[in-house]
Amino acid sequence: MPSITLKGVRKSYGDIRAADGLDLEVLDGEYLCILGPTGSGKTTMLRTICGLTLPESGAVMLDGTDITRWEPEDRGAVMLSQTYSLFPQMTVAENVLFGPVLKGMPDEEQKHLLADMLDIVRLSSRADALPRELSGGMMQRTALARALASGTEILLLDEPLRALDARLRISLRLELRSLAKDLGLTTIHVTHDQEEALVMADRIAVLRQGRIVQVGTPGEVFDYPVSPFVANFVGQSNFFTGRIESKAGKTIIRLLDGRTVPARACQYPVGEDVVVGVKVGNTDISKEEQGPLQGRIERILFEGKFLFIDIQVQGVGLVSSKVPSWRMGKLNVGDDVNVRWAWEKATVFQMPTRGLAEELRVD
Amino acid sequence: MNWINSRKFRNGWLAFVIIFFLAFIILPTIWILSYTFTDWDLIQKYVLDDPAALQLIQDAIVASFEIAGIVVIIDIIFGLPMAWVLVRKEFRGKQFLDTLIDMPLAVPTAALGFSAAIFWAVSKPTAEAPWFAVGGISSPFLLILLLHVVFSYPYMVRSLAAILEQIDQTYETAGQTLGASKLTAARTITLPLFRAGLVTGIILAMARSLSETGGTMIALATMANSKGFQTGPSLIGTLKAGLGTNPDLAAPLAFISILLIALSLVLLVVLKVLVMKVRLPAGRVWPKWEKILSRGITPRLKDGISGVFLIVVVLIPSFFIFAYVFTATASQGDWQTFWDSLFNSFVIAGVVTVVDIFLGIPLALYIARNKKGRLSKVLDVLVNVPLIVPTAALGYSLGVFWAGAPVISAIPFLLVIFAHIAFTYPLVVRNVEGAVEEVDAAYEDTARTLGAKRLQAFRKVLFPMIKASVLAGAIMAFTRSLGETGATIAVAGNSVNTAPVFIVDLINAEQFYMAALTCIVLIMVSFAFMLALRGITRKRRLG
Repeated sequence: MPSITLKGVRKSYGDIRAADGLDLEVLDGEYLCILGPTGSGKTTMLRTICGLTLPESGAVMLDGTDITRWEPEDRGAVMLSQTYSLFPQMTVAENVLFGPVLKGMPDEEQKHLLADMLDIVRLSSRADALPRELSGGMMQRTALARALASGTEILLLDEPLRALDARLRISLRLELRSLAKDLGLTTIHVTHDQEEALVMADRIAVLRQGRIVQVGTPGEVFDYPVSPFVANFVGQSNFFTGRIESKAGKTIIRLLDGRTVPARACQYPVGEDVVVGVKVGNTDISKEEQGPLQGRIERILFEGKFLFIDIQVQGVGLVSSKVPSWRMGKLNVGDDVNVRWAWEKATVFQMPTRGLAEELRVD
Repeated sequence: MNWINSRKFRNGWLAFVIIFFLAFIILPTIWILSYTFTDWDLIQKYVLDDPAALQLIQDAIVASFEIAGIVVIIDIIFGLPMAWVLVRKEFRGKQFLDTLIDMPLAVPTAALGFSAAIFWAVSKPTAEAPWFAVGGISSPFLLILLLHVVFSYPYMVRSLAAILEQIDQTYETAGQTLGASKLTAARTITLPLFRAGLVTGIILAMARSLSETGGTMIALATMANSKGFQTGPSLIGTLKAGLGTNPDLAAPLAFISILLIALSLVLLVVLKVLVMKVRLPAGRVWPKWEKILSRGITPRLKDGISGVFLIVVVLIPSFFIFAYVFTATASQGDWQTFWDSLFNSFVIAGVVTVVDIFLGIPLALYIARNKKGRLSKVLDVLVNVPLIVPTAALGYSLGVFWAGAPVISAIPFLLVIFAHIAFTYPLVVRNVEGAVEEVDAAYEDTARTLGAKRLQAFRKVLFPMIKASVLAGAIMAFTRSLGETGATIAVAGNSVNTAPVFIVDLINAEQFYMAALTCIVLIMVSFAFMLALRGITRKRRLG
């Protein structure tokens, strides 16, 4: 059964390092999401795995076998591109049977396989349709059936839900995941949508500038980010810079203007310059309850389920908070509020060497 | 069959195609330029030290470029309104007009030359021009100018229309809602976006005019008195005919070819730079005047004049030959030689097309799929060279190149094929390259990951998508080869008898009636191919 390992994979295009020493292990049957901003090297990583891009150095292993220089057709790893790439001159049936026909499967078997595959993706009635006659969701399912029919055990999905409208995108998330899990496929799913990754993945690998910054379960990546970048890219965060004041159970950090904020335990010594990160969703505001920081509500955005509130905090700047929308009406622009969070939800990071702004840049 | 998909074979095959392109097409095309270094003393002796020869060459070259320049200006003036009408206006019979524009392309230039000369020129009495022909032009310069307008005009209209189709009309509409008159909006907003199409149109039209040999020679021979007038390519044809008896002509031939090739290449570069740098006067507006010109009779007058121009200057001269055969005295000619020549033309065009396809597609694929690669960029530029170089000069250069290999140069038929490959190959490459660029590489990539080998991915996935363009390129190559005179004469003299060469010989022998019949057969054949081409490209647009 397929497990995939990348070892020190490097690839650059001119000055741009699309893969800068990638190390990753994808387990058999795992659903792994590669999450990263545009241009972080996600697609290059996929193309390296399926053999469409030859890395400059490093190795790609399949079940322990070095397949770095294998041709794509020998790897059995199917890529589904953003636009599905259904062959426009072929019908749904012909598209689905593309792989089996190449392998010279007997007609009778082809028929059964086609019926099975179309059944799985619920397209039995559209076998003779041309791709351009299908809706976005149907195209996506056809592409999936085509991949499965080729007998692959590895699915490489390049932003598979991107071209769909919002509602369909959300409903297809679970469908796609359960299909892959039921069939025992090893899946690598590339996306720049953090919510999609959190919902779908067994594990998430966060990619930035050709490097893997963090690999872990959605919970780990969300609650225990290893860097301010991850903290901000996977669920937006507020950041406070200061110096460690004391470490007894929780960490107390003194901000530049003298106030202190709490965070969970960290490995850095007292006196170290650090950044404290708190998820926007974990940042609460209250008029009654006391908090380490005080500010004035500057803007309230109604997002349906949530209110997204910007608070101007003296000496710190803008701090954002996401609160349930039932609190609408109780909070108004111009109100003075306390900003607070549970100390277990705040993470301490070492001060990035190139500065916080540079660390958070998404490009 | 596994070896075909191996990396080694692939690299080897690609190397072969690139070497073929460089060694069989580019190098022979410009080989004659090396004579500037190796045989300068001969050129010095037979040309530069011989005032008469020098004058002759100078006059021919100057005439060629003057004609090409004026032709392009006329093409732009009358082609732009026509392109506008074709793209922007909806009216009954538009389809018909669309076909009419392309018709001169279906007529081989050799036939055009005769047809136009009979219509316009004071022709030889033996030619028996019908009484309703204009028959008033006695200046060879003017006649050749009119002839060149006929076959370069469709290229200009097509290039301009193609780019106009891509320009979003909403810009102009926006301009009009902001208060600009129709003319002001078109001139200041759409025209500046036009440059790319204009460059393509100018280069194509100029190259065609500079290159044209057969029609020019025939038109001159049909005139009662051509006063020794020559263009560069026609002079190559004339001199080449005399080369067998007078080897001293080799130096002048080389010299004209060098001049034509070098000047065309310089012109190509200059035009590209110039048109991209020079700004059209879009900054200034004359709202009042332009408003007046946008309304009432002026726009209709403009459309009317361009319509009349199309009919009188382009269409009637093209097809006057059909009227001619009814009025001229019928005479019997050498039909056997004619059928032989037609057969030769077909064999050559067929072989050339097959070679173009098999060796052109791989190069087109390589260029289109490695757009950023340095080698691919160089190849992309080089592909244009045989398109811009006058075919007569190309043919002569190629003949000299292969003279170094007696095994090949001993077979003139083979030389003609090589020459025709050289100037048709870019047509196939350009067409296929354009089509491949429009197909997302993800299709082939996906096919590969689904288990298709490289060749299978091409055959099953990419090829069906670009089939129409491959066919279009093939038909273009075929008809161009079928109608070519200059390269054939320049490379093999009269030793390979193709249909256009046969027509030139007939005209020179003053067998005008027979020449006309030959022309008509050739027109019919080309026309059939033209219709096929239109059918195919139409389908592609719909699909």
